[in-house]
Amino acid sequence: MSEQTGKQLSKEEKDARFEAELLPVLDPLYNFAYRLTLDEDDANDLVQETYLKAYRFFDYFEQGTNAKAWLFRILKNSFINEFRKKSKQPAKVDYSEVEGYYNSDDVEGEGGVASTTDMRTESVQDLIGDEVASALNALPVDFRTVIILCDLEGFTYEEMAKILDIPIGTVRSRLHRARNSLKEKLEKYAKSMGYNS
Amino acid sequence: MESRFTETHQKLSDDGHESECDKIVKLLDLMIDGEASVEEQSYFNTHIEECVPCFESHQKQKLLKGLVCGHLKRVIVPESLALSIKARIQETV
Ligand SMILES: [Zn+2]
Repeated sequence: MSEQTGKQLSKEEKDARFEAELLPVLDPLYNFAYRLTLDEDDANDLVQETYLKAYRFFDYFEQGTNAKAWLFRILKNSFINEFRKKSKQPAKVDYSEVEGYYNSDDVEGEGGVASTTDMRTESVQDLIGDEVASALNALPVDFRTVIILCDLEGFTYEEMAKILDIPIGTVRSRLHRARNSLKEKLEKYAKSMGYNS
Repeated sequence: MESRFTETHQKLSDDGHESECDKIVKLLDLMIDGEASVEEQSYFNTHIEECVPCFESHQKQKLLKGLVCGHLKRVIVPESLALSIKARIQETV
């Protein structure tokens, strides 16, 4: 058992390799954690826990393989096994994310959203983003997860199956139902934007 | 491990035969996610050239994906996070 890692690295070498290979995933990982927990502090804790676990199991990580999928898998397992049990409160919509954008001068309440010609302006882009965020945050966490992995992070079905420990067929059906649900939530808004025929 | 949601697969239509449009609906996600095979793509594209409802479903599905990947804001990673990860790792033997 002791010889299974082959070449032994010094701690410095191991740390350097760890940082070089895994820290570049910090941004997507934190975003994933935030979309799961909907809380910045919780996301922070979850990401730290994920990296510490990854460090402990780094010998089992094959260099050059998909570091992003590996970390996402660890994070998702931590979230399910420990995190979701710890936090008793149900998932809540985070309004702090939205607040900043409503202070912008050229947004005048809901009336400003109606015109599709305004879509190029940044404030309206922000409003669309807010609408999408609250629709997404209102979905059950399993639905939210597949949409984030697929549409935001661009994982393939095969990678998603590995991250979530489910068969590809289940990835597909879950994604399909998640999108229907998201569509429903955005439908009313889409109509007001003139998107829906 | 399985989720708390029951996964169901789409049922065949009443007579047990899938219509062409039913098949197209099943390919929608594969198409917008770039997971369809070459055969599936050509079957799909040929169909939506002639079928308006399926063409519209495809447009809607693309729009939905575009809303998430194009408009959902990314949250900014706190600067302290990378530092505390590095620090905690260095402490770990
Ligand atoms: Zn059709």
